[in-house]
Amino acid sequence: MREGWSTAGITALGELLSPSRLTGTAARMSVQLFLVVCLWHALYSDTETSGGLDEGQAVAYGVLAVLALRLRDTDRWIGRDMVIQQIEFGTIVYWFLRPLAPWRYYLRRAVGDQLYGFAWAAAGYVVCLLAGVMDPPASAGAAGAFAVTFLLGQSVLYYLVLLTDQMCFWAVRNDSAVEILQFAQNLLSGGYAALWYFPGWFQTMSALLPFQATLSVPLSFYVGRLPVDDLPRHLAVQLFWVVSLAALTRLVWRRAEHRVVSQGG
Amino acid sequence: MTARESEFAIEARGLVKTFRTARRRPGALGMLRALVAPERVSTTAVADVSFSVGHGQLLALLGPNGAGKSTTIKMLTGILTPSAGRASVMGIVPYRERVRNARNIGAVFGQRTQLWWDLPARESFRILRDIYGVADGDYRSRMREFDDLLELSSFWDTRVRHLSLGQRVRCDLAAALLHDPPVVFLDEPTIGMDVVVKEQVRLLLRDQVERRGQTVLLTTHDMTEVERLAERVVLINHGHIVLDGTLAEIRTRFGSGWRVNATLVQTEPATGRCPPGLRVVRQDGARVIFEPDGTDGVAPPQALKRVIDRYEVTDIHIQESDLEDVMRAAYLDDRADRELDGELDGETVA
Repeated sequence: MREGWSTAGITALGELLSPSRLTGTAARMSVQLFLVVCLWHALYSDTETSGGLDEGQAVAYGVLAVLALRLRDTDRWIGRDMVIQQIEFGTIVYWFLRPLAPWRYYLRRAVGDQLYGFAWAAAGYVVCLLAGVMDPPASAGAAGAFAVTFLLGQSVLYYLVLLTDQMCFWAVRNDSAVEILQFAQNLLSGGYAALWYFPGWFQTMSALLPFQATLSVPLSFYVGRLPVDDLPRHLAVQLFWVVSLAALTRLVWRRAEHRVVSQGG
Repeated sequence: MTARESEFAIEARGLVKTFRTARRRPGALGMLRALVAPERVSTTAVADVSFSVGHGQLLALLGPNGAGKSTTIKMLTGILTPSAGRASVMGIVPYRERVRNARNIGAVFGQRTQLWWDLPARESFRILRDIYGVADGDYRSRMREFDDLLELSSFWDTRVRHLSLGQRVRCDLAAALLHDPPVVFLDEPTIGMDVVVKEQVRLLLRDQVERRGQTVLLTTHDMTEVERLAERVVLINHGHIVLDGTLAEIRTRFGSGWRVNATLVQTEPATGRCPPGLRVVRQDGARVIFEPDGTDGVAPPQALKRVIDRYEVTDIHIQESDLEDVMRAAYLDDRADRELDGELDGETVA
């Protein structure tokens, strides 16, 4: 038990030991939230409804998107702790020298990072709610549907990020893949703007990819744009992605274990 | 077979490791060809390595850069799977049972740190304590022990990113030994460190072997380290074992054991009129180094007399040949053998 918490808390501990980083995170979140709220209020100044969302729903969606993106926004680069860095510096060998399988270590670190990010997001959510910046969930059912689909959405996102990290075992660098993933994730998950504003063909295309399940679905339940009755269908889609990606990444881990080559001898 | 039931702590039998890489020819056409139809080549890093290390023994695995030392260690630690052959560490095949093997071994790879860069070193120790499941009491006593030998407490609350190389390597050694593993692999642990820190590391290793009975496999280019620590040496070159024996045996086989250092009154080429039974190893102006040429088994006092009889000298003394010379002789011997076998292709030995 203690082993799990120790490993999961590595990123959070590094951040908590750096007051300047905490201040920076708080300032960045505040600025992002302020700008997003201003943007959506301005966009709705001449219209009441767009893409099936009213102003209150649009602002709540935008604020939640900013907070949700914070969940995976912890900075591991400065700690030389990205998979790409571990492979480049040759320190990845130590992942294979401990009585903790690399996939388990990676999972614990990711869960810890997401819980740490969740603490920030939850704090931001409470502040925004108390300040009247955004509305609460559309209903109790919507809140429940949001919670379940948000959890599964984070699982899908975990596997997508893991896949790009696993690429490093073959390609050494994964910068391009990460850039593509980040752009696709932010656009196709509805992180930049809700998918409801996009044309039908775009929504159909994004429905075929896993990104929509990570953010658009849970946030749409929260603001009441998706009826709670649709929950089983969306849960089935999310579970499909979780199971498929879990199987794929497990397979890739097995292959990666035979690909460990530390640079420079 | 359990750990202590196995006769050896470490056993390597016919280890081979071949890497498959894509070869790119120079130029734009070569790049295009590599994209369309990449040419795959096999590089053999370890060709056929067999040796064993007994429990509580400290073995130095030596060899020039690219000889196959690190690849051998990576197979023995379970990081790499051999292309052929078999390895066993404390009765466990390391690459088949990585997690089980991990509890039996500790490892330090040169300047690569296993500590978390963004955390104070002591936090890394705590995380490793939890990963390895070390009891609190054992952890405290181990840390006290390491602090006594390596003076860690003066910097263990500093973030790893701010530690000097010497401080970091000392912390890495403590991290590798924290769970008291019976077998320790050290791949050039003291590279780039100053003499004081090197001595601290040597003391720690000596202590681990003599008091705790740990088995240590060490690679290094530092011959002082080898002389101070190793009971046995395995010399590896081009993925093959060149020799395996105690330091005394190696000195007998490849070293003359002694040399005559003389300073001549007049600077003259000494090679032409070398005393019988001796040959010139090196001449730097008036300073000349002679060693026995192996023809008549000359003893050191006779050699001194022969040099004095042949030249006018201002200074002369006998010097024991150092390990570096012995190793160079062993490499050259291996090179000569391989040249005879037609295996070498324009390679140089420093």
